[in-house]
Amino acid sequence: MNRQMNRKRPFFLNLLAIRLPIGGVVSILHRVSGAALSLLIPILLYLLWRSLRSPADYTAVAGFFSGGLGWLIGLGLLWALLHHFLAGLRHLGLDFGLGEGRDRARQTAWFSLALAIALTGLIGLSTLSGGGA
Amino acid sequence: MRHVGGAHRGLDMWLLQRASALYMAGFLVAFLVLLLAAGPMGYETWRGLFAPMYMKVGGLLFVTALLVHAWIGLREIFIDYVHCLVLRLGLYLAFGILYLGCLAWSVDILWSVK
Repeated sequence: MNRQMNRKRPFFLNLLAIRLPIGGVVSILHRVSGAALSLLIPILLYLLWRSLRSPADYTAVAGFFSGGLGWLIGLGLLWALLHHFLAGLRHLGLDFGLGEGRDRARQTAWFSLALAIALTGLIGLSTLSGGGA
Repeated sequence: MRHVGGAHRGLDMWLLQRASALYMAGFLVAFLVLLLAAGPMGYETWRGLFAPMYMKVGGLLFVTALLVHAWIGLREIFIDYVHCLVLRLGLYLAFGILYLGCLAWSVDILWSVK
């Protein structure tokens, strides 16, 4: 069996062929969400600037996020922030030796992944039925 | 060019990454509480959140922590994927300049709220 596994070993990290453990999924999403948020900082500052500049600008920014594509982009941003926040707290815990056991590490990985998605979904639903800002 | 790849700055970066994360986490929770306590959201309420001096100072610290955190995070990604040293250093510099610009801009944004 070992011989067969070695023969089929991939030479490169084909992301579609390897199956990451859940901690790996949470970790790579932490990196992806962090990279996305980092690249978007100038745009986020632009939105902050517009939202504070005048009532008309505020309405334009709020209007952009209240429906359609802007609503989806807002939820994507929200998910990236929530996932990065929760997975980051998990990683901080691991730095301090909390939850390093395999079972506990898997539980917290699932928990942070699920909670970020659930909170994004809840806020998405509440902004749908609430009729926007 | 021997140390230019940054082999000796790992621990500083590691600590700064975590210190900035902790400050941002605290600020975001506090901001969320203020946001929810402010009642129905509108331009005047939103602007009012940024009026107090503690929000300008705390907000500027938040932006600083965010930019430091983002720069260090991008640096780790570049170390993993950008193996041409000149290109990698160019990216460090480009994001350093971009983020310093963002810092200056955020001072203007925060202090424009009277």
